[in-house]
Amino acid sequence: MKHFLRVLTQFFVFLYCKCLWRSLKFVVRKFTGSCELQRICYNNKHGARRTHKIESSLRYSKHELLQSALSVHPDKVEKTIDDIMALKKINPDTNPQLGISLQASLLQVVGYRSLVSEVEKLRREPYDCENAEHEEMLLKLWKELRPDTPLTGRISKQWCEIGFQGNDPKTDFRGMGLLGLHNLLYFAEHDKATALQMLQDSLQPKHKSTHTKRSEVGKPDWEQKNLDKAIGYSFAIVGINITDLAWSLLVGGALKTHLYNVAPEIPNLLHFQQTFCYLMQEFHRFWIEEDPSDIMEFNRVRSKFHRRILRQLKNPDMALCPHFSASDLHLVNL
Amino acid sequence: MAAAAAGINKQGAGATMETCLRHGRGASGSTVKTHRQAVFKLCCHLQVLECGVCEDVFSLQGDKVPRLLLCGHTVCHDCLTRLPLHGRAVRCPFDRQVTELGDSGVWGLKKNFALLELLERLQNGATNQSGMADDALKGMGECIIRCDEDESHTASMYCTVCATHLCAECSQLTHSTRTLAKHRRVPLADKPHEKTLCPQHQIHAIEFVCLEEACQSGPLMCCVCKEYGKHQGHKHALLESEANQIRASILDMAHCIRTFTEEVSEYSRKLVGIVQQIEGGEQIVEDGVGMAHTEHVPGTAESARSCVRAYFADLHETLCRQEEMALSVVDAHVRERLIWLRQQQEDMTILLSQVSTACLHCEKTLQQDDCRVVLAKQEINCLLETLQKQQHQFTELADHIQLDAGIPVTFTKDNRVHIGPKMEIRVVTLGLDGAGKTTILFKLKQDEFMQPIPTIGFNVETVEYKNLKFTIWDVGGKHKLRPLWKHYYLNTQAVVFVIDSCHRDRLMEAHSELAKLLTEKELRDALLLIFANKQDVPGAVSVEEMTELLSLHKLCCGRSWHIQGCDARSGMGLHEGLDWLSRQLVAAGVLDVA
Repeated sequence: MKHFLRVLTQFFVFLYCKCLWRSLKFVVRKFTGSCELQRICYNNKHGARRTHKIESSLRYSKHELLQSALSVHPDKVEKTIDDIMALKKINPDTNPQLGISLQASLLQVVGYRSLVSEVEKLRREPYDCENAEHEEMLLKLWKELRPDTPLTGRISKQWCEIGFQGNDPKTDFRGMGLLGLHNLLYFAEHDKATALQMLQDSLQPKHKSTHTKRSEVGKPDWEQKNLDKAIGYSFAIVGINITDLAWSLLVGGALKTHLYNVAPEIPNLLHFQQTFCYLMQEFHRFWIEEDPSDIMEFNRVRSKFHRRILRQLKNPDMALCPHFSASDLHLVNL
Repeated sequence: MAAAAAGINKQGAGATMETCLRHGRGASGSTVKTHRQAVFKLCCHLQVLECGVCEDVFSLQGDKVPRLLLCGHTVCHDCLTRLPLHGRAVRCPFDRQVTELGDSGVWGLKKNFALLELLERLQNGATNQSGMADDALKGMGECIIRCDEDESHTASMYCTVCATHLCAECSQLTHSTRTLAKHRRVPLADKPHEKTLCPQHQIHAIEFVCLEEACQSGPLMCCVCKEYGKHQGHKHALLESEANQIRASILDMAHCIRTFTEEVSEYSRKLVGIVQQIEGGEQIVEDGVGMAHTEHVPGTAESARSCVRAYFADLHETLCRQEEMALSVVDAHVRERLIWLRQQQEDMTILLSQVSTACLHCEKTLQQDDCRVVLAKQEINCLLETLQKQQHQFTELADHIQLDAGIPVTFTKDNRVHIGPKMEIRVVTLGLDGAGKTTILFKLKQDEFMQPIPTIGFNVETVEYKNLKFTIWDVGGKHKLRPLWKHYYLNTQAVVFVIDSCHRDRLMEAHSELAKLLTEKELRDALLLIFANKQDVPGAVSVEEMTELLSLHKLCCGRSWHIQGCDARSGMGLHEGLDWLSRQLVAAGVLDVA
């Protein structure tokens, strides 16, 4: 009986998708005298809500042109909009707003797609020691984070100070490629205050435990305890881990909500990097809130954080805007 | 008589003359002869002195030495060694009687000394028979010289004229006549050496010895031979001095032989001692008061045997204990399961009775009149509701339980029993940062290669392989994290240490980490699997080279370890490593059964 009901439900859903939905659309269209795209554009404000609807409307459209509009090149968006207007027999003069809104939304959709491929390309590009550009970026990262200490060498123990695993940061970029480096550098450059704060926190013992374990501080294995009590994580590899988080959010489509809300037209790498900054800030706060006993809980905290972000992004009005401090604000140029 | 006496002294001519002489000399000589002939006949015709199995004649020593069996039969040593052993005993080939053998086997059986003596006598007789000359020579060499007149007397004087040995009595008797009384008789000690005459020049005595190499076959010469004969111009020496020289060398040799004999006998004494030490046996020991008593001294063979016995007894005991333990585990499992099943049975019975009561109630209500039915509505509804709830519970329960009577059993290497379809094993993956621990983990888990991000903290996954369920803890390899590895050691059955093969300069770092790891108390009994990762990269250190470089044999001495080349990208070698782990953890043969 239960099974039968399930099958019946599935059948109805299938039927709805196949015919009922279309006929419903048809009836509504006849009734209101405007097509679905028009209705969406007029009823929704600019943002994720509208773009999401337009995207799904286009995706499930039976018309080839509308379906292919999602994967069109950003340069050809204008022409595609004209085609759609012609197809839907909408007069651009009477509906000036429609074209503009549609174009903005479509650009967002298309831009997201190209952003994914751009980010993916960056991720797949391994860090290359021979490449002067890569080297320069890495050294710049050091300068941003440690302006007072000169680096003794390209391969040096000092890299551990900013949270790389070994003497050569190259090995840590294996999973995220250049994307990790770009993100870290952006974060260090544009959100210097938070970055330095995080770095300092990661090196300093946790204030709370220092207080309670004051008596033990004098012990010779200070280094060991420092590690146990320090905020725990290492700045750089946490950055790479958060890059992974941001990347999976992006590829999984969860970031659409944010980017559609934030980017007026084509979302670009800067938007992604700002999202990264936001995630870093939030994660730092979250970590302190969670107050894990040691670094070994990182993955638990991280997945909890991941779930929280996903939940937040379910809300179509959500935007993950970083809070840049006033001093860094002039650098942020959208 | 004189001629006869001369015959004895003339060494070459002896045999026939002596026989004749003895023949004629009366009863004693003839009896000796007849006896000898009889023995000779025995030896030639009856052939009793041969082994009854191989029909070879017994010998005084060596393979054909006769040995006695418990039943009294005599078999040669060679045949005894070929007899099939029944435990530690042989069966007599003639009457199947069993003879126990000692530790030294056939060598420990007593020789048949009676037979040996007989054999010796026979052999002596045979030589006597065949070579009288040797006998005569032997007579010369004897220190007791017999009287030539009567064999039963001992000679004490020598007649220089007759050249006979005589005793005082016979000397009186034979030299009683006047002429003979003039014969000069000297005590035996003063007996002059006779001069041997040259065979070519009868009148000249041999006085010289030729020293030429070519004449060594006949070096003796008289003055004629020396001056004019065949030894003319040859280098020569005086007979006497040459003889003395030879005597001295013989004495030397005798001395040498004596020491040699001593050595040999010493050695054989030692052998006897060692045999005794091995076999053990009774020994006479004097205690403090001076009372001698025999005491059993255990031989080394016995102690070795007792050692083996003790070891296996110990093993047996452990096995018994382990068996008991395993059985108790099974018992507990069975008990628990049965109790649970019985409980379920009871619950079902109760449920059934409840349902039937409800049905009965419903039926009763059906038969009642309308007013009562309406009144009973509430009650019935309530009943039905509870019924539905119970049904729901039942289906939920039924979903969870698999009704399977089977009790799958597996055994670990240390003979513990494990009940359940999968054996769970806790594994910790360690290694330097960037060695590929996470990649290996995900390759094993999802069979897909992905470039991981640096692990902060740890990843944990369960990987099922054959009938094992590995819970793999992959702990980050970052320098700062390494002190935290120790939190994962407890209850870990295996450590997987991953090494990056293409990073030669970090091998030493890996080595020191590994060495640190092996000193941990909690990991004392853990298996160690070393993955030499990234074998696909050209220029990677090979497994053999890595074993050498890290001196693994020395480092991992005394624990079960294995190094496995692998490549996390293609997954090559990973399952071989798990195979090794499972072979180490599960008792042999169980994997094939499962």
